[in-house]
Amino acid sequence: MTVAAGIGYALLALGPSLSLFISVISKKPFLILTVLSSTLLWLVSLIVLSGVWRAFLPLKSTVWWPYALLIVSSVSFQEGLRILFWKVYKRLEDILDAFADRVSKPRLFLTDKMLIALAGGLGHGVAHAVFFCLSLLTPAFGPATFFVDSCSQIPFFLVSAIIALAFVTIHTFSMVIAFNGYAEGNRIDQFFVPIVHLVAGLVTLANFAYGGCIVGIPLLYLMALLTLLHCGKMVWRRLTENGSTQ
Amino acid sequence: MAQIQRPKSFLDSLGEEIIRIITPVSICMFIVVILVSILNTDSSSASTTINNIATMAYAETTSDSFWDKLKGALLNSLVFVAIVTVVTFVLVLLFYLRCTQFLKLYMGFSSFIVLGFMGGEIALFLIRDFSVPIDCFTFLVVLFNFAAVGVLAVFMSKMAIFVTQAYLVVIGVLVAYWFTLLPEWTTWALLVAMALYDLAAVLLPVGPLRLLVELAISRDEDIPALVYEARPVTNHHSGSRDGVAQRRLWRERRNVGNDSEENLNSESSLDSNLTNGTVDGGHHTTRLARAEEGQLLERDAELSAPLIDRRSSVQVHGQGDAVSSESLLLEGIGLGSTGAIKLGLGDFIFYSVLVGRAAMYDFMTVYACYLAIIAGLGITLMLLAFYQKALPALPVSVALGVLFYFLTRLLLEAFVVQCSLNLVMF
Repeated sequence: MTVAAGIGYALLALGPSLSLFISVISKKPFLILTVLSSTLLWLVSLIVLSGVWRAFLPLKSTVWWPYALLIVSSVSFQEGLRILFWKVYKRLEDILDAFADRVSKPRLFLTDKMLIALAGGLGHGVAHAVFFCLSLLTPAFGPATFFVDSCSQIPFFLVSAIIALAFVTIHTFSMVIAFNGYAEGNRIDQFFVPIVHLVAGLVTLANFAYGGCIVGIPLLYLMALLTLLHCGKMVWRRLTENGSTQ
Repeated sequence: MAQIQRPKSFLDSLGEEIIRIITPVSICMFIVVILVSILNTDSSSASTTINNIATMAYAETTSDSFWDKLKGALLNSLVFVAIVTVVTFVLVLLFYLRCTQFLKLYMGFSSFIVLGFMGGEIALFLIRDFSVPIDCFTFLVVLFNFAAVGVLAVFMSKMAIFVTQAYLVVIGVLVAYWFTLLPEWTTWALLVAMALYDLAAVLLPVGPLRLLVELAISRDEDIPALVYEARPVTNHHSGSRDGVAQRRLWRERRNVGNDSEENLNSESSLDSNLTNGTVDGGHHTTRLARAEEGQLLERDAELSAPLIDRRSSVQVHGQGDAVSSESLLLEGIGLGSTGAIKLGLGDFIFYSVLVGRAAMYDFMTVYACYLAIIAGLGITLMLLAFYQKALPALPVSVALGVLFYFLTRLLLEAFVVQCSLNLVMF
């Protein structure tokens, strides 16, 4: 429905990420590179998944269990890739620390490491929003709009933008939690992230039922809020611990 | 109010040079995508094919069969690459015979044609589509001034860097947009052919670009070419400033007794004769090379590109290290030249053509191809840091871009649309 609506939907999904990018990430070039590479990684994982599932598509939209299978397989693959990402990051951290020693500058601070994790998560989130929401927005710039059965009160574009916003939040802050969990060896954090991702994915299955998005979307936002709170608590704890030991 | 001053982490300036080259490439691609989406949705004039050197062999129509199109596209791209090779050899010959003045004039002339005529046509399309009320005298005066300033900006380096960079990006956008008007199969075949040609021309010992580079090295001269130079990174953390940023002029380091290893260049000579719309591609510039080594006087400045580790490259030169560092110190006082990455305009153009062509299908392919091209550029920069010599910038990016385009179009789109329409996301 016109260019204004199209831009509105895009900003709805990506607004917070844009402000995060401009205020935090764009100041440090290395973080921009991190965002780009994690976006690429997410895209590659999505292509691999679509390659695997292509033979089975199109799935009938009346039956929900193939979708459940799809979600479970996709989430497990992506969580596996997160561990891979962590390993690559560890290697990179060692290289950077060695370089810092060589030019006699201080090593990476805790905040630097968290910023890198945040940038990685933001890359994942932006990739999700771009491929699941923005790339379908092209018709929204035209004169009409589109509704789906499961959410017939609001346009499809608006629904997908809202869902994308929730997922962006989940992806962005999960990465911070996950990296911290792997660094500290904290089991709770390590399991928190995949479980939240899986539950969030499965909750979107509720959108299958007619009018199901009234249940699905608030639950999704509950997961996003949970992620935010847990991340905030963890970061606060780490920073105060760090500040008190220095 | 007491502020706790956090010591500056070196993460603050890591990788800045790479970002300074990725930003203009992204801007160029973005503008081409916008132009393509605005100007192509309205015109359904697929029947009027542009007469080009690129479609000389075969004019594609939508009703041809698969094999006809494939053969035609391959033929077109072969013809184009052949012409480009011949023109580049002519360029090498002229450079060898020291006709540099002629080359510079020719470059200026072709930039004027690109900015004036191609820019004018695109401006006319936009005026027609948006019904901008402007009369032709104003338009002509503005266009002429725009083109004239552009020629001056590109060839006299005394202008503000930003103006030069902006004009180079504009030239890239204009040429790329014209290439996207070619028929589809021809465009893809052309991209792949140019990537292969680039690989051959830069790496093979008999390749014209390599000959050009070696000639330029042996004479320690600049090739007159259209090259985008990223602004060199100034280190704001070093102590020797009074708030005045040091002026950086970049020029090649005169290396006493050493082979300087910088070479840039890419020349992109573009001559477009508007009467029959031929585009003569003499372009390549697909060589990425670093212009200068870091100056050892400011050790901090090297922090700004640890990903392209210059200090190790200075040591690679072996003997003459002490000599070169002294000569740098003597030359460098007050001027501080740090290395700047140079990327040829032809690379900008072909990246944008790829993304523009992807935009004609759907935006999902645009995002995928953008990420692929940036990844390819990053890989090429890494290879550059590793191999320390002129490298072709097209092959990796174009290969990844084409691969991602077809993967997205065939696999990803069905998957994502299926999931999204049922509001099932992960």
